[in-house]
Amino acid sequence: MRVGVIGVGCTKFGVLERTIQELAFEAVKEAVEDAGISKNDIDLSVVGTSNTRGYELMPAVPVNEYCGFLGKGPIRVEAACATGSAALYTAYSSIISGMADIAIAIGVEKMTEVTTPTSLAVGGRSGSYLWEFHQYGTTFPGYYAMHAAAHMAKYGTKPEQLSMVAVKNHKNAAKNPKAHFPKEITLEKAVSSAYVAYPLKLFDCCPISDGASAAILASEEKIKELGKEAVWIEGIGFSSDSANVAKRADYTGLKATVEASRMAYKMAKIEDPLKSFDLACLHDCFTIAEIMAYEDLGFCKKGEGGKFVEEGRSDFGGDIPCNTFGGLKAKGHPLGATGLAMIYEAVKQLREEAGDLQVELKNYKALTQNIGGTGHFGWVFVLGV
Amino acid sequence: MFLESRELVYKHKIPVTKVEKYWKGIEEGKIYGTVCKGCGAKYSPPQADCSECYSSDMEWVEITGEGVVEAMMEQYTFPAGFEFLEKPYVVAVARFGDFKVVGWAREKVWVGDKVVAEVDKDATGVWKVYFKKV
Repeated sequence: MRVGVIGVGCTKFGVLERTIQELAFEAVKEAVEDAGISKNDIDLSVVGTSNTRGYELMPAVPVNEYCGFLGKGPIRVEAACATGSAALYTAYSSIISGMADIAIAIGVEKMTEVTTPTSLAVGGRSGSYLWEFHQYGTTFPGYYAMHAAAHMAKYGTKPEQLSMVAVKNHKNAAKNPKAHFPKEITLEKAVSSAYVAYPLKLFDCCPISDGASAAILASEEKIKELGKEAVWIEGIGFSSDSANVAKRADYTGLKATVEASRMAYKMAKIEDPLKSFDLACLHDCFTIAEIMAYEDLGFCKKGEGGKFVEEGRSDFGGDIPCNTFGGLKAKGHPLGATGLAMIYEAVKQLREEAGDLQVELKNYKALTQNIGGTGHFGWVFVLGV
Repeated sequence: MFLESRELVYKHKIPVTKVEKYWKGIEEGKIYGTVCKGCGAKYSPPQADCSECYSSDMEWVEITGEGVVEAMMEQYTFPAGFEFLEKPYVVAVARFGDFKVVGWAREKVWVGDKVVAEVDKDATGVWKVYFKKV
C-alpha cells in the first residue's frame, strides 16, 4: 500500500505575535483547505514540537484542541530540529498500520518568546548537557562551527564558499513571501559579517523563527475513493548519532545523513541521486550543513561540497536546485515546523504550484533531508508523483 | 500585545553518583574515561554502564599524554549561564589515543594542533578540561 500527501499548509516564518495554537491553526487550516476535505475526515493528529523555548511546555493538547481535533489524538512527537519529519513518519505509520485512513502531521514551534542568550542555552542543551553545555557552554552554532573548522582543515573549504550557500538561499527567499528574510544579500556582506561562533559568521546562521506547517496523509485506497491527486511518499530513511560530540568518529560530515539517505534511496529505488531528483530541500541550519549535505547525500564526492555550490550546481539551472524556497538560512527554522515545511516545498514544486520559484520537472521526484542537532537525528524522504 | 509569564527558574540536582570518580578525579587533576571489562568498548566522557554489551563492570582509566585537535570553535555570542566570561571562548575536541576529550583552549587552536590537557575550575566553580598547545 502507498501513502500520499493530499494537503499541505505553512505559515509565514518570522517573529510572529501568535500563541502556539493560533500559529498551528493557520497551517492546519491551509492544509485542510488544500486537501479539499473536512477536518472531521481526519482520524489522527500528530503534533510535532520541541517547544523547549515557548511558554506552553506541553502544547500538544492546546494545539490539537484549537485545530478542532479533540478525540483524534494527539500524539506528541519530538526530535529536536527534525521533529517535523518524525511527525510525518508517525502519521505515515498510522496509515500503513491500518489504524487510520487519513492523518495529519502538524509541526509548530515558538522560538521567540525568550531572549537570544536563553535560546542559545536551550539549544546548547540538546546534546548531552552534563558533559558539554554544563562544562563548556557549547551552542548549536558552536557545534556546526566545529564541523566547519574540520571541513575547512581537511578539504580546504573556503569561508566564501560557505557564504555562497547563504547568498543562494537568500536569493530564493526573496521570491518567497513566507520567508523570515525575503531579501537578497551580497557575497561581500555575508563574508564580512561578524562571527557568531568562529569560523561561522552571522550570515552562516539561520534566524530564530516562529512558524508552523502541516501535511495531510491518506492511504492509496482513500485517495482513490476521494478522487484526489497525491504526492506519494516513495522513500523514507532515518538514523541517529551520539549525543556527545566527543563520541563522533569524524566532524567533516553527518553519518546520520549518509545512513538515512541509503535507507530512503533503497526504498525508493534511487541509484544516482544527482540525476534522480528535480530538487532537494536540505537542512541548512548553518551554511556548512548544506555543504556537508551535498556530500553525505551523494550529490558530489566527499570534500567537494564547497566547489558544488561555487559552480552553481545547487542553484536554479544547476544539477539539482537546493532549498528553492530559501532554506532554513533565509526562510527560517522553527524547529518543529521545519521538516514539514520541506514537505510543503516539495509538494508545491511537484504539483507545479511554486510560482516564481518553480523548478523544471523531469523526474517528478524531490528529496528532503531534515537533521536534528548535528546529526543526532537524521531523516530523509523521497517524494514523487 | 504581549503579557509576561510568571517566572520559572530551573536549577537541577544532577545525580553523578555512578560517575563520581570522574568528578572527584578532575578536582585532583585527573581526567578519566571508562573501558568495558566485558567487551572492551571505550567511553569518554565516562559511562558506568556499557551501551554495547550491557555489562556494568567498567575499568576507570586515566586519559593522559599529548592530544591532537580534531575540531574547534570560538564562541562569540554567549548563552545564558556564561555571562561571567569577558571574551570569546575556544572549545575544542582533541583525540588522546582511543579517547576524545572536549575542553576549553587557553589560546586559539586549529585542527591538527598538538595539545596537552590540564584541569581547572571556572569562575562559577565548574571543573573542566583546558587544552594548552604543545
